[in-house]
Amino acid sequence: MSNVEPKAVDLGTQYYPTQLGIYDEMFATDNKALPYWERFMAAIEAMGSENLELRRREAQRLLRDNGVTYNVYGDAQNLTRPWQLDPVPLLISSEEWAVIEAGLKQRAELLNLVLKDIYDQQILLKKGLLPPDLILGHEGFLRPCVGALQQHQHHLTLYSTNLARDPKGRMWVLDDRTQAPSGSGYALENRTVMTRVLPDIFRETQVHRLSGFFKALQKGLVEIAPHNKENPRVVVLTPGPLNETYFEHAYLAAYLGFTLVQGGDLTVRDGRLWLKSLSGLQVVDVVVRRVDDTFCDPLEFRSNSQLGVAGLLDVVRRGNVAIANPLGSSVLENPGLLAFLPRLSRYFLNEELKLPSIATWWCGQRRERDFVLQNLDNLVIKPINRSGGNHAVFAGGLSSPEKELLRQQIVAKPHLYIGQERVGFSTLPAFIDKHIEPRNAVLRNFMVAVNKTYAVMPGGLTRISRGKDDFMVSNQSGGISKDTWVLAPAPDKPISLWSLPKRNQLINAVIEPLTSRAADNLFWVGRHLERIEASARLLRTVLVTLRELTEQKDPLYLHCLQVLLPSLTAVTGTYPGFAKGDPQLLNSPENELLSIAKTGNRKGTLTANIQAFVQAAFNIRDLWSQDTWRCVDNIQRRWNLRVTHNQITIEQLHKHLDELITGAVAFSGLTSESMTREAAWLMLDSGRRLERALGLLSLLRSVLVQNHEDGIQSQLLEAVLITTDSLTIYQRRYRSFIQLPMVLELLLLNETHPRSVAYQLQQLAAHISALPRSADKNQLSEEECLILKASTDLRLSRVLELTQIDTVPGHYFHLDSLLTNTSDLLLRIAEVIAESFFSHSQTSQLILLNSREDDL
Amino acid sequence: MKYRITHSTVYQYTQSVGLCQNEARLQPRNFWRQNCESNRFEIYPTPTDMHPRIDFFGNHVLYFAIQQPHHQLTVTAISEVSIFPKQNTLDLFNQLSWEQVRNLLQEPVFQGQAQSQQGQTQYQNRDPQATEIMDARQFVFDSPMVSVSSELSDYAQPSFQPNRPLTDVVNDLMNRIYKDFTYDPSFTTIATPLADVLKYRRGVCQDFAHLAIGCLRAYGMAAKYISGYVETLPEPGKTRLVGADASHAWFSVFVPGSGWLDFDPTNNKMPLDQHITLAWGRDYADVTPLKGIAYGGGQHSLSVSVDVLRL
Repeated sequence: MSNVEPKAVDLGTQYYPTQLGIYDEMFATDNKALPYWERFMAAIEAMGSENLELRRREAQRLLRDNGVTYNVYGDAQNLTRPWQLDPVPLLISSEEWAVIEAGLKQRAELLNLVLKDIYDQQILLKKGLLPPDLILGHEGFLRPCVGALQQHQHHLTLYSTNLARDPKGRMWVLDDRTQAPSGSGYALENRTVMTRVLPDIFRETQVHRLSGFFKALQKGLVEIAPHNKENPRVVVLTPGPLNETYFEHAYLAAYLGFTLVQGGDLTVRDGRLWLKSLSGLQVVDVVVRRVDDTFCDPLEFRSNSQLGVAGLLDVVRRGNVAIANPLGSSVLENPGLLAFLPRLSRYFLNEELKLPSIATWWCGQRRERDFVLQNLDNLVIKPINRSGGNHAVFAGGLSSPEKELLRQQIVAKPHLYIGQERVGFSTLPAFIDKHIEPRNAVLRNFMVAVNKTYAVMPGGLTRISRGKDDFMVSNQSGGISKDTWVLAPAPDKPISLWSLPKRNQLINAVIEPLTSRAADNLFWVGRHLERIEASARLLRTVLVTLRELTEQKDPLYLHCLQVLLPSLTAVTGTYPGFAKGDPQLLNSPENELLSIAKTGNRKGTLTANIQAFVQAAFNIRDLWSQDTWRCVDNIQRRWNLRVTHNQITIEQLHKHLDELITGAVAFSGLTSESMTREAAWLMLDSGRRLERALGLLSLLRSVLVQNHEDGIQSQLLEAVLITTDSLTIYQRRYRSFIQLPMVLELLLLNETHPRSVAYQLQQLAAHISALPRSADKNQLSEEECLILKASTDLRLSRVLELTQIDTVPGHYFHLDSLLTNTSDLLLRIAEVIAESFFSHSQTSQLILLNSREDDL
Repeated sequence: MKYRITHSTVYQYTQSVGLCQNEARLQPRNFWRQNCESNRFEIYPTPTDMHPRIDFFGNHVLYFAIQQPHHQLTVTAISEVSIFPKQNTLDLFNQLSWEQVRNLLQEPVFQGQAQSQQGQTQYQNRDPQATEIMDARQFVFDSPMVSVSSELSDYAQPSFQPNRPLTDVVNDLMNRIYKDFTYDPSFTTIATPLADVLKYRRGVCQDFAHLAIGCLRAYGMAAKYISGYVETLPEPGKTRLVGADASHAWFSVFVPGSGWLDFDPTNNKMPLDQHITLAWGRDYADVTPLKGIAYGGGQHSLSVSVDVLRL
């Protein structure tokens, strides 16, 4: 029924083209919209489609500013995809929600009991309530985990389902997520954005708030700690920045106040789990894992996994760490279980299932298998294991040979397959291309075990298909998300995640340990940032000189360029470039200059450095404030949009460089204004200082160690001062001609000038000594010795000696060797810092120590 | 018959290893055919953390960690084991055909009992054979290193003549593997897939055991993997070489009424009093005698010596 003509005001319920035979959330079973939908639609109708489109765009902007992304596999160029949010939420009445909530709680309790039984006494198997083949033949059943559960009321700490409605309006459970359910962070972010773009409608609608759930989540995760119950250390274990939901891992860790870690940040010693931090090993009590269970412990499961930590399961066995969810809980994600839940519910709870599962036939039983084979065309066939690239297929859509192959597979290993009813999901209104259109929807719910029961998020993550009549609702295939508004009978009070102390009291601040990996990344964020700035500044100076040459045709500028261009190659490290003195390249440098700015896959270019900078920052996404992250994102987005992916001329490049430098300076400013002077900032700034000194030394060496005739010399000195943002200071300080000794005094030796080498060394020394370390404080560490040596060498040098021309004509020998030595010392300092602070984080080689049984 | 087994493994690294975690399944298990009189480990450097346990299949496991930097790790297990040569010869006359066994293993053992048992948490063992069959069933399915394929089933086909007693089928299969396959340690590694072993007809004891297991499972039989040792006798006129033995592997098949029967395809015989069992599981991955994860280390080399001494 798409023959409805769009009109000026076209958002009302009367323009909504529902489809025959499909249940729609707004209309339910009647011809009239439900009253709460009517109110909502009236409100957006009053707003008009243009206005709503503006709100939708505003939502997209906010999401992108907050860095809400979803990584898409196999798309290296554009890995992070912005999260899509539809401004029309799913509305659920409080009466209906009460039914859903009760059903979800019941199901969570039931699955928890099943999990406990499978890994403990296995009564269900012994009594034949579950067929052994279904459990023992499933990849998710991990034999090493049997007997490893701890004494909790609830083992299934986190739980999530996907719900959908059939054409008659009944809610069905499509599947259960029991190992590391994702999505709650996206749901929270959706809500945050919705309250900003539709504040009035949200306020008037009386929607249940989500903060209560997150408070419960925090409490539930702290509760399972086997030790340190008062103040346990909880870590969120992520597979890393390439994982599809990495944004959420970082977001939830930051929101809940937990430490975000990767496998390499953890180690097992003395039967306990430890976090490798800058200040030594710190015991870990709870792991919230976003890593699939067989990747968590290479000793007992996949020996090639770098995502986990060897010996983890043994720490669990000894009761020294709790994992949410416990290793082995993916056994519950076996879709074959759906067929047995009604029976298990009666057995365990003496109740019927309140929320039915989608009709499922497990082929491990002869009768069910025959039914599935006879009705193949009408069923969705799923393997019970998710690994090995197995996907659900609708057999009716297969060709005859494909169908025959599937039939053979089922007959060969029937217990590995299920048949499922093909359900047409309900539709609900979505705002697509400025129209309200029906889309199929799936609702994901979130639960956490807390206080001996389950807390259910009042709401959830609703996802709709992109196209009409499309049943594929997944993020990988580019679906759109919606907020879910559960209506409250009375306005809901906001709950703060902060606990309120009984009276005014001073609480000891917890100094969050900085993982060695995070320290490593911070150091490199600092270094890349500084490289960006140094390269951009010098490139800008070169562009100015080039323009002067074109405009004034003065050979002075030509001489300058012949020095500055090779210097640019040296400072950026984009060899060979101008370094070989190729006259053709030096006479028409435009293409090479553009390449130094925009080529992506070339070492040392601005685009490459920006990429590396953003990647390092993204690796520690949880450590940045929202403003800081926006700043990081802006730097890359603008540069890519305007330079990397754009056809630009050399003349246009200048203003983009200005903008880039402003962006980099904004990042420096934000971080120095918003980060406490603790390990994280010290690492970031050490990286900057070190790189700034290196860049400056490289600039001075490549421009100044060779003497030139006076005119060129002062022009070059001016270029150096401009590049280092020091011209104004120089003029104020010396008020005279620009001369080498004074320039060196300012840029090399002056300890009060933030752009001098001496200043960088002084800051570096202060930072390093302030860093936490386990070693003896009374003795200088190796990096401290090296810094001391570098700055002493500088202090002992005399400017006039440095500027004496040596035997080789035109060459400042002493200056050259001082710059070279200092540079070498700094490179060594970088190595030593890496060895003493990040050695933990370097990917340890995993050696498999297996012997083969190989004789006789 | 009594044996003393000394199983020694030495890892050497070119660079220091700061931490390693290991699991050893080097303590022989007890069952009707054998009794482990004593077992001790000598590990250098001395582990700072050890944790013994029993795994899912009832094998003894020792978890140990070396937490200080080291360039060499030596793990020696010394066990004294008594073997009772009571191969139940009656078992071999078990006349159940392989089809009957397959049906017994496929039948839903407990059907009909499910409904009326609400609230009853005590498990009642009514039928020991049913429990045994249920336990055997997990050895019918694919396991990490053995996945049933049409190639395996084609190879096994000549042994699975209709209505043939299962014990005959397995004897025939063992015999064929012994004849068709060449023992060749240079051909395979731990990672060589079964398909290659089958294609090139080469391998070592571990491969032959996996091969037989795959063939049996292809026809719905329950088969498990056994790791252990076998006594080797010196050639006539030569003296016994200490440490020249090796760890060994064979398979076991489930015959209802008789239980699990062992077969050694590498030597074409049924273990009697010269096979010492360490552990069993679905395949090698479940019972790896010694495995570990080391951090650091550069290149590493490994040497193993096994001595099986008849006392």
